[in-house]
Amino acid sequence: MILSCILVEDLQVAANYPTNCCEKSGLVEVKGHFSNVPDALSFLNSNTVDLIFLDVEMPGANGFELLDQIAFSPKVILTTSKTEYAYNAFQYNVSDYLMKPFTYQRFLEALQKIQPSKETISTNSASDHIYIKTDGKLIRLNNESILFIESMGDYVKFVTVDNKKYITHNTIKNLEEKVSKQHFLKVHRSYIVNLHKIDDMRENLLFIKGNEIPVSKANKADVFKRLNIV
Amino acid sequence: MNNLSAINSFSFNAEIDFSYLQSLYGDDYVYVQEIFATVLNEYGSLADNLEYSYSSGNLTALKAAVHKIKPVFGFVGMTAVHQECQQFENLCGTADSPEILTRDFEALKNRIFQSRQVIEEEMKKLEIFNSQSS
Repeated sequence: MILSCILVEDLQVAANYPTNCCEKSGLVEVKGHFSNVPDALSFLNSNTVDLIFLDVEMPGANGFELLDQIAFSPKVILTTSKTEYAYNAFQYNVSDYLMKPFTYQRFLEALQKIQPSKETISTNSASDHIYIKTDGKLIRLNNESILFIESMGDYVKFVTVDNKKYITHNTIKNLEEKVSKQHFLKVHRSYIVNLHKIDDMRENLLFIKGNEIPVSKANKADVFKRLNIV
Repeated sequence: MNNLSAINSFSFNAEIDFSYLQSLYGDDYVYVQEIFATVLNEYGSLADNLEYSYSSGNLTALKAAVHKIKPVFGFVGMTAVHQECQQFENLCGTADSPEILTRDFEALKNRIFQSRQVIEEEMKKLEIFNSQSS
């Protein structure tokens, strides 16, 4: 399986080299290179990746600030020339720590550390869209167009950003397994929400474009974890 | 990457750790040339930033600037210069003011200036070598 990744690195040569390693390995596809946190964040607000090669010290915001702000949890490999970030790396569940410049062999070892989580990556790298059967036809819904999914007994209702509602024969339990884990999270037995669309959260309620979504006690910890609350 | 068979026919400057370079890029001299070109492309701004940070008297900025240019020397196999940058970066972490570092900074600045010349010369050699090998 090919992993998708981005590189966040302000030194051109330090971005060029891992890009080449990715191409050479045939295991990782580089979706973009960003030389600062705001640009990377802008990309990640509307795209997901399996992996980020992340420099820490960059002009303006540092690499950890990027991780604080993204709505999903990709694998992270720090690319730095300092060893001082070990504590932060532990806190942010960083997969590996590559000292620049690293050898190709060391690069492959870092990728191998991600392999045990293959199942997770596979789920996380699910398609950027789903098809639902409604009104006798298959309709494509991009993940980014879905606000949330609500249970209606043996049916579910997809509510989209343009305020359209699509009702289809399915269950929240079944959909929970099928939708992209990077975008969606079950927050209640009757609701799956798009994590990228949450406006705010108060007590046991999420608010998405004026819609009030209950969060169950059982799911609340997961919600907090995925929202990267600091 | 392109694999060139004439591995031993290219002789790097003594400042460049050939074994280290090979551990990064194997025998791909075309890619080595690309790396050297990329390094030279951003070398000026990195060196200027180092000079500016020193002139401004900001130790934190100076430490960050040397930290930023340091890996460049690793990418071109100049491991000794890489280590000298690391030592200077460590000094920045312990010094009270940039004035204390004047002698060390001047030495590092000269080293960085000379290193650029080495990289430029190697770049020219690589261009010739690769054009003849293709």
